[in-house]
Amino acid sequence: MNEIAFLPIAAEILLLGGAVLILMAAVTLNLGPRTWAIIAGTTLGLSFLVAWVQWWRIDDVGSQIHYTGDFLRTPMVVMDYFSVFGGGLVIAAGGIALLGGWRLVGSLEKRGAEYVALVLLAVAGLHIMVISANLILMFIGLETASIALYVVAGFTRDRPDSDEAAIKYFLLGSFASALFLYGIALTYAATGSTSIYGPTGIVAFFAERAITEPGVLLIGIALMIVGLGFKVSAAPFHQWAPDVYQGAPGAAVPLMASGVKIAGFAAMARVLTVAFDASISDWAQVISALAALSVVVGTLFAIAQSDFKRMLAYSGVAHAGFMLTALVAGQSGVPGLWFYLGTYAFQLIGTFIIASIISGAAGGASPLDSYRGLAKRSPVLAGALAVLMLAMGGIPLTAGFVGKVGVFAAAIDAGYLWLAIVGLVSAVAGLFFYLRLIVLAYFNDPDPALADEPITAPRSSRLALAVCVSFTFLFGVLPWPLLNLTSEALPL
Amino acid sequence: MNLILATGFLVSRCEGSRVTLADYLPIGMMLVFGIGFATVIMWLSWRIAPNNPTPEKLAPYECGIVPLQEPVQRFPVKFYIVAMLFVIFDVELVFLFAWAVRFESFGWAGIGAMGIFVILLLETLVYVWKRGALDWNVARRGRNRRIVVDSLEDAA
Repeated sequence: MNEIAFLPIAAEILLLGGAVLILMAAVTLNLGPRTWAIIAGTTLGLSFLVAWVQWWRIDDVGSQIHYTGDFLRTPMVVMDYFSVFGGGLVIAAGGIALLGGWRLVGSLEKRGAEYVALVLLAVAGLHIMVISANLILMFIGLETASIALYVVAGFTRDRPDSDEAAIKYFLLGSFASALFLYGIALTYAATGSTSIYGPTGIVAFFAERAITEPGVLLIGIALMIVGLGFKVSAAPFHQWAPDVYQGAPGAAVPLMASGVKIAGFAAMARVLTVAFDASISDWAQVISALAALSVVVGTLFAIAQSDFKRMLAYSGVAHAGFMLTALVAGQSGVPGLWFYLGTYAFQLIGTFIIASIISGAAGGASPLDSYRGLAKRSPVLAGALAVLMLAMGGIPLTAGFVGKVGVFAAAIDAGYLWLAIVGLVSAVAGLFFYLRLIVLAYFNDPDPALADEPITAPRSSRLALAVCVSFTFLFGVLPWPLLNLTSEALPL
Repeated sequence: MNLILATGFLVSRCEGSRVTLADYLPIGMMLVFGIGFATVIMWLSWRIAPNNPTPEKLAPYECGIVPLQEPVQRFPVKFYIVAMLFVIFDVELVFLFAWAVRFESFGWAGIGAMGIFVILLLETLVYVWKRGALDWNVARRGRNRRIVVDSLEDAA
């Protein structure tokens, strides 16, 4: 047996240990939410610290591929700037999402421990997706995260729409996972490997020979794009998103929406721009079609929504399209993708935290009318909402603007001017529903029944929201630190 | 027979450095045997059995008694929990077997790895035990459950 390198998988070990500790503390010692919070916070904090240590380690000794077995045949985990940046992003998003939705844990009583443990396990699964150098390991990470999130989606048992959300997410998600797995199988049939790196990996395979009859390989790539496209809710695989975001317990949605998008796009970037870099001319057209469809469909459907969470879900489809726009440029689009993903994830978490404050931590539907006159009921919340909406719309001085510039620049450099134009037109059209929220909040009078009812936000939600809003504003005014970081975070 | 074929297949796969189409011969033979066996049995039962149908015999549940109740009933969810627990520990055993046949060559590292695996599963057991999943008091929970599907007698 070879020595086991613990540093690349330290975050998973910590998260798994934290989840086990929380479950055990809850049932054997009868410890309450305060203890769970301490354990979860320590775990996530240490995991984030591990990301820094990994970054320094790569600075010292360079990127590393870690194998399993004696013959250096099967790379499993890769430690490069890409995986460290993505992993840190997943952990940060998971931590802030958990903090913002902590009120849900208190209302669940004993089952709260399960919720916290499931969130930690989901973050571990998403982290595996980002760091894996093997398609099968990537699938295992995807399933770990997905199964945990299926359960979280149905955690509020007394609401039928929560059950509906869970069963829809489960059935459609399993189907997408199966497609992804079938894509891996066909890729294996075409290239003889499920590893991306290594002497017998897919990259080495393409370096050595050209495939003359790429039929099987193309179907494999297509199926993997479908599977991951479902997870990041890119059109036309997005139909589950509105129902799930609306039905799932409000405080759990931030992680479901942002974490899966981060890991899904990281996996997509790793698979497409590294493993199948040689056949970029084949998949870039598919990705560009998906991107164009996503931005148009997402924007058009978001305009028609009367529920805030459904609107955010469809705007998420449009944002997935913007991120796919960066992906058509191959590896040179990865920094743009990272910046967009890193800033959008926190905008999304922030807006869903606001939604969970307005319509309850366990609540589902969040009609737009309940945001009428928000500025009079809670000026701070309305201000945060305004900043986040402007950022999602891509107004200058917010991080959303810088992100969109990077994405469109990458697409234009790669020769996809038409895609950038489609994206720009959709972004302008999208301003309509983002600004409508601001108009509702500032220039309308609140519903008389709600006008006197104060909005109570726990300290945890306010803290998480403050982090999200300040990130959005800070990286909009001073994007250079993050831009430098993302330009380094390239896959091996 | 399948086991023998599968073993033969594995041996031939391990010995040769290159896989040729001949290595897949056992699978092909198994396929032919399987389809052939099923076909012969079905042909025999069709050929030998006397064909003398009555309405009772053509009923979906032909066992002599006219069905009184729809089979779609509510089961206590306990059965599923117990079934899931069974599957968890069944799968654990499968992994333990694979490790046990080679456990000397794996050494202490193998014992450590299996230890982590077993402890994680034991932790699951402790958790579900403490949460009451093994508490088989169906009557206490199910007493007030109403019957969803009326019996056919009542309907008639």
